[in-house]
Amino acid sequence: MPGLPASVDLDECIERLYKKELLADSVIEAICAKTKELLMKESNVVHIAAPVTVVGDIHGQFFDMIEIFKIGGFCPDTNYLFLGELSSRVLACSADILSSAGSCAELNTFFASEPNGVADTLFHLGDYVDRGLFSVETISLLVCLKLRYPCRVHLIRGNHESRGVTQSYGFYTECNRKYGNANVWHYFTDMFDFLTLSVVINNQIFCVHGGLSPSIHSIDQIKIIDRFREIPHEGPMADLVWSDPDPEKDEFSLSPRGAGYTFGAQVVKKFLDVNKMNHILRAHQLCQEGYQVLYDDRLSTVWSAPNYCYRCGNMASVLEVSDQGERVFNVFDAAPENDLHRGEQQNQPNQDGQGVVVEYFL
Amino acid sequence: MTVNGRVEPDSHYPSPTDAGNSITQHGFKITTRKLPILKADPIEKVTKNLGIAPPEMIFGDNLVSIDYESGWGIQFNTYDALDQVDKTGGSMLQVAHSREWQSTREKKHKGITEVVKPFDWSYSTDYKGTLRSSSPLLEASTIPIPVELLKRPDPILFFDEVILYEDEMADNGITMYSCKIRVMPARLLLLCRFFMRLDNVLLRIRDTRVYVDFGTGEVIREYMAKEEKYEVVRQKLAWRGQDVPAQLRDPNNIIDLLPVVNKSLERLVVR
Repeated sequence: MPGLPASVDLDECIERLYKKELLADSVIEAICAKTKELLMKESNVVHIAAPVTVVGDIHGQFFDMIEIFKIGGFCPDTNYLFLGELSSRVLACSADILSSAGSCAELNTFFASEPNGVADTLFHLGDYVDRGLFSVETISLLVCLKLRYPCRVHLIRGNHESRGVTQSYGFYTECNRKYGNANVWHYFTDMFDFLTLSVVINNQIFCVHGGLSPSIHSIDQIKIIDRFREIPHEGPMADLVWSDPDPEKDEFSLSPRGAGYTFGAQVVKKFLDVNKMNHILRAHQLCQEGYQVLYDDRLSTVWSAPNYCYRCGNMASVLEVSDQGERVFNVFDAAPENDLHRGEQQNQPNQDGQGVVVEYFL
Repeated sequence: MTVNGRVEPDSHYPSPTDAGNSITQHGFKITTRKLPILKADPIEKVTKNLGIAPPEMIFGDNLVSIDYESGWGIQFNTYDALDQVDKTGGSMLQVAHSREWQSTREKKHKGITEVVKPFDWSYSTDYKGTLRSSSPLLEASTIPIPVELLKRPDPILFFDEVILYEDEMADNGITMYSCKIRVMPARLLLLCRFFMRLDNVLLRIRDTRVYVDFGTGEVIREYMAKEEKYEVVRQKLAWRGQDVPAQLRDPNNIIDLLPVVNKSLERLVVR
């Protein structure tokens, strides 16, 4: 497996990103290319073993992501699974130990210093970018962590990890503003096409960004999806990143929006029975309490962007899954650093920060 | 469940000031309240009472009110704004890729035809505020809001911005209702704006302005609804050569590009 250019030192990149410094666009290009090679080998359903900390939507809220590491442990001491929506939204990251053991061993050799026997994995459920102010820094850091600790950090694709949505919701504009051109946006969004669609923890917990699809009964049907593409408007791949539970229904229903589904209690029960699993874990929906548990503890929503858009006042959480598969929500509030950077936020167009700027509007 | 120890939950959301700001000028009491989005239980209650699924971000406790000592008063609150949304599905918009989506779907999943509670999920509202029950009504008028007086750089004694609700329309755009108020020594202006952008389909702005002259007790309410097809606005912005998606996120950048579809002017002297 070819390495990164000699000039790219991942540890140094990570160090700089923890300080919220931007990487050069040539470095981003190299890192995204390398990440694509890595992700290409992942199945559409990545099997991992607990312990792992699962993270929901982040949406570019950089300081709150650092807060997650402070609470849950830094990589590689904790395994992470990010469930997506990084840019101005959330992400899932986790340890990939079962399914791609071969490639992991290879990568660990390549990256040499991966410690053995460290407990947890970090796992992100998608939606890493858009809406927050630091989508570029957020996604850059997560991608570097994925490359550096490929078996301890897992990223699932969210509906915001797409070209269309990132153009409407801010990531494109942020890349342009910070780099003076759209190249970095192209590197990232091309790489998004390779993110996996789902993760299974301990053969028990099915993790996905949005939810279930009427086209998918068995997880084997997910494995045959051609995922290396922009998220389509319809079909199983769209459903996995878009659909929402509806606790008042039993079956699938059409969304009033004219595209997309909601899924009910019986759908969840049947999916778990067929696949011999006991829980579905997803992100995608804002909850004031930071998480929501539905269907007699068969499905959880985890939301990891506190005070979403710097104005919702909501709590956030990460879900810690222990070796035995026990689930504990770790709830947290917005990081204090957000207040210090409130001025910076107010200077951004379209960010109605908590602080109020007096204005002679008409 | 554990809570991280460093920050007490609810310690800064809301801060005491966000829970209610007010100022009284010449007998007019102006109040704003900003609290976090609703929790799951209140959302369930609101859902039941409204009869529709509420927006993703529902600031159910937020409000702006203007009350005069005589008993006249007007308030903008989240529940009443949402109560004006069409709940029948009669004016339902559909996302741009809806036709493509449905034609593919029909072949595969014919069994799933039920739409969950059809309603106007763009949460379009023509809400112009809620008058206090004892308040005399405003009457149709031709006297406009005195814009020139509002352009004067009078000191602003009180300013606030309050969001009532917001929804990202499952990433197909944005819909939101927000209020801005500024109080000067002799007058105030309140602007309550509904803004909706359904990507590749439609842009809609509905502004309600309330003007109060403290000296005369004159209250003027102006309502103006504007809308235009998305593609028409997109082309005009592209012609200007700007970052179109960024422009489309801010209603101030596009309001002049939308034709007026409905307007009204009302007036009342409360003194």
